[in-house]
Amino acid sequence: MDKQLLRYEGSKKTMFIIGLLTVFQSVFIILHAVFLSTALTKLFKGAAVNAVLPLLLGFGGFFFLRHLLQWAKERMAYRFAETTALSYQTLLLEKLFRLGPRGVGRHGSGSVITLCLEGITNLRTYLELFIPRAVSMICTPIILLVYVFTVDALSGVVLLVTMPIMIAFLILLGLLAQKKIDAQMDSYRLLSSHFVDSLRGLVTLKFLGKSKSHEHAIRAVSERYRMATNRTLRLAFLSTFALDFFSSLSVAVVAVELGLRLIDGKIGLESALMLLILAPEYFLPIRSFGNDYHATMDGKDAGDKIRKILSQEDRKLINTQPLPRWNEASCLAVRGLSKASTEDESFIVKNSDFEVKGFQKIGIVGKSGAGKSTFIDLLAGLRDKSSGTILFDGIEVESFTVDEWQRQLSYIPQHPYIFSGTIAENIRWYAQHSSKEDLLLAVERAGLSELVKSLPNGLDEKIGQGGRSLSGGEEQRIALARTILQERPIMLFDEPTAHLDIETEYEIKELLLPLLERKLVFFATHRLHWMKEMDLIFVLQEGQLVECGSHEELLAKKGHYFELISAAKGGRGV
Amino acid sequence: MKHFNTYIKPYLRQYYRSISLAVFFGLLTVLASSMLTFTSGYLISSASLMPYNILMLYVPIVLVRTFGISQAVTRYIERLIGHNAVLKILSDMRVWLYRMLEPQALFIRERFQTGDLLGTLADDIEHLQDLYIRTIFPTIVALCLFAGSIISLSLFDWKFALWIGFCLSLIVVVYPVWSLFILKKRQLKQKEVQSRLYSNLTDAVFGLTDWIISGREKDFINGFHREREEIFEVDRRLRYWNQSRELQLRILSGLILIMMAIWSGFEAQAGGIAPTYIAAFTLVTLPIIEGLLPISHAIERIPAYQESLRRVGNIERGDRHEAKPIEVGKSNAANLVADHLTYRYAGSQEDALHQMSLSIPQGHKFALLGKSGAGKSTFLQLLLGALVPTSGKVELNGQPCHCYGDAIFEQISVLNQKPYLFATTVENNIRLGNQTATREEIERVVKQVKLDQYINSLPLGLATQMEETGARFSGGERQRIALARILLKNTPVVILDEPTVGLDPQTEADLIETIFEALKDKTVIWITHHLMGMEKMDKIVFMEKGKVAIEGSHEELLETSERYQRLYELDHG
Repeated sequence: MDKQLLRYEGSKKTMFIIGLLTVFQSVFIILHAVFLSTALTKLFKGAAVNAVLPLLLGFGGFFFLRHLLQWAKERMAYRFAETTALSYQTLLLEKLFRLGPRGVGRHGSGSVITLCLEGITNLRTYLELFIPRAVSMICTPIILLVYVFTVDALSGVVLLVTMPIMIAFLILLGLLAQKKIDAQMDSYRLLSSHFVDSLRGLVTLKFLGKSKSHEHAIRAVSERYRMATNRTLRLAFLSTFALDFFSSLSVAVVAVELGLRLIDGKIGLESALMLLILAPEYFLPIRSFGNDYHATMDGKDAGDKIRKILSQEDRKLINTQPLPRWNEASCLAVRGLSKASTEDESFIVKNSDFEVKGFQKIGIVGKSGAGKSTFIDLLAGLRDKSSGTILFDGIEVESFTVDEWQRQLSYIPQHPYIFSGTIAENIRWYAQHSSKEDLLLAVERAGLSELVKSLPNGLDEKIGQGGRSLSGGEEQRIALARTILQERPIMLFDEPTAHLDIETEYEIKELLLPLLERKLVFFATHRLHWMKEMDLIFVLQEGQLVECGSHEELLAKKGHYFELISAAKGGRGV
Repeated sequence: MKHFNTYIKPYLRQYYRSISLAVFFGLLTVLASSMLTFTSGYLISSASLMPYNILMLYVPIVLVRTFGISQAVTRYIERLIGHNAVLKILSDMRVWLYRMLEPQALFIRERFQTGDLLGTLADDIEHLQDLYIRTIFPTIVALCLFAGSIISLSLFDWKFALWIGFCLSLIVVVYPVWSLFILKKRQLKQKEVQSRLYSNLTDAVFGLTDWIISGREKDFINGFHREREEIFEVDRRLRYWNQSRELQLRILSGLILIMMAIWSGFEAQAGGIAPTYIAAFTLVTLPIIEGLLPISHAIERIPAYQESLRRVGNIERGDRHEAKPIEVGKSNAANLVADHLTYRYAGSQEDALHQMSLSIPQGHKFALLGKSGAGKSTFLQLLLGALVPTSGKVELNGQPCHCYGDAIFEQISVLNQKPYLFATTVENNIRLGNQTATREEIERVVKQVKLDQYINSLPLGLATQMEETGARFSGGERQRIALARILLKNTPVVILDEPTVGLDPQTEADLIETIFEALKDKTVIWITHHLMGMEKMDKIVFMEKGKVAIEGSHEELLETSERYQRLYELDHG
């Protein structure tokens, strides 16, 4: 049983009310059986149909009430499930923003999206079905059994004995099947993913000249998959078999026993018929619980996954600290900046001190894995530092995640995200109310005019998901246009040109250099040609800031930077 | 209905034996559970007459026991047979889908830009299981049960049977059709809101950085709340409708039961049936109706399958050029010649590739550069014979490339940006290059790509699974495995389609060195985005808007082309 079920807000109250309704429902089940059996007995004994009508109506009334309560229970459960699912979705969304892009990336962006939509729906289904089913499974059989015992002890014993046998078999078979499934899980998983693997690798198969003959492999593996599935199903269906078998066998036994004792006159027809009607009702809750059990387990898993994400550590968000706007006289001093890895004991950035002033341009270089991206992420407040002090114009700032800091910077990554919308919407993304003139100017300065002219809808052309796809260079230009429009004084770059072809890189560089004037710039890259344009270069090695100075100074020093430059030249002479 | 005829009917026909068997056992199951109730009712009524001889009740007692046991057995058999039949159908459909996609392999990415279309298609095929198991089978069973019950009843009283038939048809026809109608209407709305929600959320998750830095998180959450309110509203209505329908159907079944009781009462008085049958007839109503109720549920699922079938159907359309592969022996030399090669995509105003002429003799190293859209991929597609030139020609050993069909891959291998490595062992992945390769040959290529040390250090060596936890391969290593595969294939020409994009500079330099060492005797056509390694090339071509902009060797270009000098300086840091 899922203990978590009791911890959802309002779940106890919901379960209590549903429990109460179930008790009434069970009583109605007994009553409708009593009315029906009495009516049938009278008819059997030759009573006029008119005389029996009130009894039949009584049956109809209780039958109706019983299903009405079922309806009410389900509706209540749905309401509860819906509220819980909604609040979980909200919590999850808010958490995503606090976790930041890397935190979310660790869970796999695609699976987070699925969790947030389908996962929530599954959770709702789980709560909606599981609660009333579980409550009925506990309440109804007990109440019916007590009543059956008061009427006929022998039938009561038959029903009572069947239940534990049935449950024992259910558990045994379940375990057996699970063991068997686990044992062949690996080969099973391979078989089941073979088809999608083949489709995704179709281009590669084609290149290898294997795509035609691979059809036979698909047929063969599909057949093996079918065999394996059949073997598994033979076991998996046994639990339903046990439910069906014991419940219907038990009903049959009760019926035969009743028949035999009726011959001897030890029991009346009326009671016998009533017991016959009640016997299947006794097993109904456990059967419907068993049938839906597997269907709802996805939802339980989704709930667990969401809770796991919610319990993750996240960025501190501080929205109150006021900071001045960065200008030529501003100064940022950072002491002992560190970021610990979440996976092990090591540090991705450790103990770095630096000071920057006014509109300096700072290049950040280092081998891959030296911590360049993490450094930029920390500055952007996308991740929280583990330790270190930050002084902005002498004021201590708690973290770079402070709102007033983030509102002053723009950030251009290697692959800027293009939102699904028009070009104009994408460029206006940060400054939504900018004028048409400003927008056109930004398009011009980002070198997008030609592209915009070539599109049938110009600035209103849809891009992003479901729209026209853009090349890497065009995406960078859109990102540039965004920053031009928002006019923030601090700019952060993380490998903006590494993936572009050299000609596009050249063009972007021409466009970008004038935009860096009168800004504080942090530029992380391994394309070293950018460094000549920087005022200050930070060299990172294994997370530590090991060198700091201008291009010329560092070259003269013949230290780490010099090494990087010569390695790059050496690497070229392959 | 169009989809039904194309994708469902042929399979139903092909596997009608297994399917009818499954339906037969399905019928037996409902029959057994109804007959259990019927015979028990009869047994108890007869027993209350206290016959002198218990043998008079022998038959009903045996029947009660038989039905009690057989119901579980037949249901078990029904499910196994049904699933087996459906899995056979799925197996056929997988092959069919593969056959459909295979010729378009090189165009899939261009034709369908939406996310993981191939994954979705594979899922669609899986979903069709439900169409059979949850819709087609239960519907046939329910319809047979309906007909059977009415016919049986009409043996006693055809007028009443007609009336009950009318009542039951509410359950079998009216409610399902009504459900389908309501669901179809709602589903359109649901789908629309859902895809909007999905795209919003994707924008949020992948554009997280921008939302955070712009400080617009609240905007997003508020917007999302409004949108999801709509979807929850639609879901809620559907669910409430489902719950209310259930209640209505239950009330209806209660009424039918009362009618049966009254009818059997009258009938017994009139002597039409023995009084011992009153309870039997009345009580059997519920299990029969129980067998009919699933039909609403089964029918209302139809729109969901239509969506899957529509997607699968979309694949089928699309023009494909496919040449019959010609018999080409494995040759060790390949001469490539392009002469005024021109290609224009249908509906386009400009040539994607314009009058390109070049010749690449065996063993040459040829580099191709250019911005995206300059015509590099078009050139590749023409070279691989996937496209037929609009004018001019491109020939391999004097034979037009598009005439080769798949045989072209005996001459040309491709190492692209993301070579796919299958979820199997490293050895099997490499062996794809040549199924008949010996162990020694495989070890030789692994050594050539300089993976021997790393792979030998793994506990399972070459038998390591590609995706096994803890033994994930890095980008550079994956490229090396793919390269080993190509070396094993041993074709005279190798195309490198930006294989180093996304690797860090050190890994890139190492990989390029390995590649050129391993391919030194082969013709190499290298599409690249910067100038690392250009010194080794015999010829470098820059393309622009479908035309050759500059060409020459590294030294020539460095001397004559100002543009090349500029770029070289940039790349050199």
